[in-house]
Amino acid sequence: MTSQYAGELCTLLIEDNFGELFARIFSILNRYDRLSFSRLKFYSRLSNAQLRHGLAAMIQQHLVYHYTSYDDGITYYEPNMQSAYYLIRSGKILEFIEHRLGKYAATVMSTIMFLGHAQVGYLETLPALKPSKSDVNSTSEECEGVQEAEENQGDEVHQETEEDEKTENRPNGLNSDYAPAEQPALLHPTLKALAGHGYILRVRDAQFQSYADNTLDAERTIKSRPDIKALKGKKLEEAVAEGTLELLKERLDGDLTRGLMFNGVPRGAKRRHTNGAHGAPNKKARIDYAAVDEDEGGDGEEENEWSDDEFGEDTIPMESGITVRINYEKLDVALRNRRFLELAERDSSPVTAEVYECLLRRIEYQTAKCRDNTEIPREGEEGEHYSVPVPLRAVVEDVDLLLDLAGSVGPMEVSQPINRRGKRPLEENANGAVHESNGAQSDGNRTYEVDQHLCLLAQPPYSLTSKRMASGLITWTVEFRHLARKLRHLELERVIEARYGDVALRVVRVLHDKGKLDEKRLQEISLLPFKDLRQVLASMQTGGFVDLQEVPRDALRQPSKTIFLWFYDPDRVCNSVLEDTYKAMSRCLQRLRFERNRLKEFLEKTERSDVKGNEERYLSEAELTLLEQWRAKEALLLGEVARLDEMVAVMRDY
Amino acid sequence: MSRFGAKKGRKLPGAEFTWDNDPNGEPDTAPTPLYPKYTVPQARPLGEREQKQVDLYRALREQFHDGPYYSVLDPGLSGRRSKAARQHFDPFHGMPSYSGKYQKKKRAIPKLSGRPYVMKFFPRDDLWEAIQPNFKAGAAVDGFVARMVRPPLKRGFEDDDEEEDEDGKRRKTGDDDDEGGENDDLLEPDDEQGEEEIMDDDFEDDDDEMGGDYNAEQYFDGGDDEYGDDGFGDGGGGGDEDTY
Repeated sequence: MTSQYAGELCTLLIEDNFGELFARIFSILNRYDRLSFSRLKFYSRLSNAQLRHGLAAMIQQHLVYHYTSYDDGITYYEPNMQSAYYLIRSGKILEFIEHRLGKYAATVMSTIMFLGHAQVGYLETLPALKPSKSDVNSTSEECEGVQEAEENQGDEVHQETEEDEKTENRPNGLNSDYAPAEQPALLHPTLKALAGHGYILRVRDAQFQSYADNTLDAERTIKSRPDIKALKGKKLEEAVAEGTLELLKERLDGDLTRGLMFNGVPRGAKRRHTNGAHGAPNKKARIDYAAVDEDEGGDGEEENEWSDDEFGEDTIPMESGITVRINYEKLDVALRNRRFLELAERDSSPVTAEVYECLLRRIEYQTAKCRDNTEIPREGEEGEHYSVPVPLRAVVEDVDLLLDLAGSVGPMEVSQPINRRGKRPLEENANGAVHESNGAQSDGNRTYEVDQHLCLLAQPPYSLTSKRMASGLITWTVEFRHLARKLRHLELERVIEARYGDVALRVVRVLHDKGKLDEKRLQEISLLPFKDLRQVLASMQTGGFVDLQEVPRDALRQPSKTIFLWFYDPDRVCNSVLEDTYKAMSRCLQRLRFERNRLKEFLEKTERSDVKGNEERYLSEAELTLLEQWRAKEALLLGEVARLDEMVAVMRDY
Repeated sequence: MSRFGAKKGRKLPGAEFTWDNDPNGEPDTAPTPLYPKYTVPQARPLGEREQKQVDLYRALREQFHDGPYYSVLDPGLSGRRSKAARQHFDPFHGMPSYSGKYQKKKRAIPKLSGRPYVMKFFPRDDLWEAIQPNFKAGAAVDGFVARMVRPPLKRGFEDDDEEEDEDGKRRKTGDDDDEGGENDDLLEPDDEQGEEEIMDDDFEDDDDEMGGDYNAEQYFDGGDDEYGDDGFGDGGGGGDEDTY
């Protein structure tokens, strides 16, 4: 993340979002890395006021680390590349939150992004977060989960607040749930849901210092402890290392999920699942069974039953003193899961994908970040790392009751649907009659079927799941490292195929599978004529995707007595592709800036305070089309950047 | 081009490893084209979800742009300009016009007031002054130790509260401006006022911060704006030239 293009990209992103002043400060910091205020002033040639205000605002947005040295009392500033980069992911994150927790949650999220970090007390006062009536009603159906939770909680909230004498100027009428004064009632559960999922976290002092500074700081603290001082040699080192890690964890930890989880599931999340059966047919599969949905009458009662006892304690609002910010690490986990889900959707039935989604969601709640170490380990040096095991029963609970599980797996006699591609269409025809009677299935049968679906996912080539037996209970886990690697390989293969064609793809796969190969052997294995093979290898070598190793057979290193071995090193290729991607992204943004400059006069006109909002009234026909075109163009470029960002995520973050 | 060890009829050593021509074909000695044919890849149109992501990104960016932190290096304010800026003055578009009052105002300095800050998250010596104008640096200088040790937490909290109170007050007074800024179309006169105040803000800050600075350019520029540089460079600037 410290390369030239990454820095360039981050600077461009900041300029795109926050303007030139921030970009200037950031680019200077990026070039010189660690500067005191006076040096920064010298290099950036900004006035005191500009720099002070700029830096303060950038710290507020987490774009700059600062560290006040103990020795000389001077404060040093450093760029925070990571959070600068995440600016590009904001759209993706917001879309994800909206999909998962509803529109209001996305609004809260974007407000927190806008503020950098914010105290809950301050969020309460913001007019933007006061839900207007229309806003609440027009929220997506998913949101109804939260919303309904409100309704159900309403009464309890009233009782509690009356007891607590909270000054929320609540009117006494119990049924005026959506009066504007009730705003915290919607804000707090939403914040709690976000915190419970781990999407936001508490801000700690240490988060404003770079990781290296924190480590040094922690080390110093540990070393000055009397019990450590007594140690010597290797023991000392070990103790210091261990203590440092512990202290770091303690200082950086901003986890808010504690106390908000209920049996490994955030409160409020569960409701969504059951509700999902009701009115959120966001998956196509569900639409097919809508008819069955309506037949089910018992659903509503069931809901009320548990909502009462489970949400009983959840009515306490969040402490208003807590300062919150976005937890990008956790969101990476969530986005990664979505990626896996897409992989599963690609070649298994929608029902299977849905079962997989339930499993992944369960796992997501308990996974704090994508991996433990900061760098992606080298190929082959990466150990297996299983996620938390999720008992089969939990998955079965989560799976939509009305989901037709049997329709897409083979008949029960066959324990393992090996040849599923051949069988599936046949089964769907045969089971057509069974669909209607699916509503009432015995519990054991369901468990077995869910297990079948998960078995299906466990099949190679992807091995999306794996089965574990823990003290007699069947549990399912996901091998994340393996899958992340798989994603990386798929991505690289996609790039190679697009660039050099399918012949190249075959060659690369052979090389990856077999290691280093002589040209002759390579030809034998890949079954390609020499001519094609050489052309492809040569062009790929120029592109840096494969390389040649010379192994001389004698000391003279004569070419005729040298073995030439082709190899393909995914790590190396990954790194160079990552660099290229950064470069491509920054070029896209530069292009965007150029295009904007070309239309500058016009765009300024559209941004005029009188024109904005009622473009139809003030702009001519031609201008309107121009505006339309411009928006489409910008969307395309930004969309391209977002796609490239997905690649970066695969190569760097997952 | 005869090679030292090359034997007639036999290939050069290593020739079997060249890849650009096949063993029994003619060597291709033609120069490579300067601009080889290249099929430009076309981006796929955006999917529904991608479109939504882009829209959300744009909405957030818009929010940032309208927010208090967005600031440019050359806000192009009509007031004081440096000499260079005046030389590059665009007489056709640069003149202030009536519709200019609707133009989006640009900040030169991020506006920090108007929301509470958690003071302990910011470095004390450099930035507290900026965030909280009435913070006295003198308080920090009182002891050697105070500089060395990080500001103790309790202190931070106390300041925090104070500052919040003040901010609360300021927010109450400044509320109108903010509202005006948001509902530009609805309350135009109000809005204008608000923007003026923003500009004032900047200048005040400038003055405060750079009060001690001696601005040499400004010294001679005193009356120039009225007479000189308005196309009558010779006549107006005569005062200067007389001294030669």
